[in-house]
Amino acid sequence: MSVDDATGDLVRAARGGDREAFGLLAERSWHRLVRLARSVVGELEAEDAVQDGLVAAWGRLGSLADPDRFDAWVSRIVFRRCLRANRRQRGWVSLDAVPEAAIGCDPAASLSAWQLLSRLAPRQRAVLHLTVVEGMTDAEIAPLLAITPASVRAHRRRARESIARLLQGGKS
Amino acid sequence: MKDPDLNDELSRFEDELRAWGARPLRTPASAARQRVTARLSLARQPIPWLRLAASAALVIVLVIVTWVGAPGPARESAAVARGSFPPPVDPNVVVWVLDSRTTVYFVLGPNGSAKGGVS
Repeated sequence: MSVDDATGDLVRAARGGDREAFGLLAERSWHRLVRLARSVVGELEAEDAVQDGLVAAWGRLGSLADPDRFDAWVSRIVFRRCLRANRRQRGWVSLDAVPEAAIGCDPAASLSAWQLLSRLAPRQRAVLHLTVVEGMTDAEIAPLLAITPASVRAHRRRARESIARLLQGGKS
Repeated sequence: MKDPDLNDELSRFEDELRAWGARPLRTPASAARQRVTARLSLARQPIPWLRLAASAALVIVLVIVTWVGAPGPARESAAVARGSFPPPVDPNVVVWVLDSRTTVYFVLGPNGSAKGGVS
């Protein structure tokens, strides 16, 4: 198995117990999944949530109907892990807990973006991330979050309204 | 959202979000691959559920077919194993097992007469 192999072939090999093939799938999806997880659970829990999601996906590969749709399928698993992590951390994780090293090159800007994002519901965060950061369409986002394109639009509209309210509140 | 200032702020927020989302990851993908692969050996193997269910069904069918279709002696020996037949008797005694509670004995006499009884 090589990096050039098609996703479907890697999934079929992994189903047969090929760990290296699954490792390649994990490597390919890592950046995209961690970026999504960071927007939903924040920096500290994102990588753990993605790792847990990938290991869970390994155990459930038999339930993946279409091997070519691995990306959307594994995103749903990771997103559900993030929702679980989010429920766990709700109410006790402070933004002060975000390490400075994790914030990035412009701490002030990054923190304010996360500060605003963290005030939204998890699905709204995910929709906003996939729209703004990943540049995905509603039809592409819907299967990743297991919702309809109409729900994607509704979540994004509510997210933007909440952000607007927060920005206006910040001015007064 | 008709307020132009608010729209500007929203676009600024989206630019910040784009920069925040695109910042580098703590763990590179290659290291993550190694970590995930190492955890897989501890995790459950992927189970081809359909194949597993089909195998289980096949085993059940085979057991039933073997039992139902088994020739008489096989079932008889199983019955003996369960103890539903009387113990072996003298060669001059004929035993009829009518049902699980009724056994008829015929004892053959030396002059051809027979004595019988029901137990």
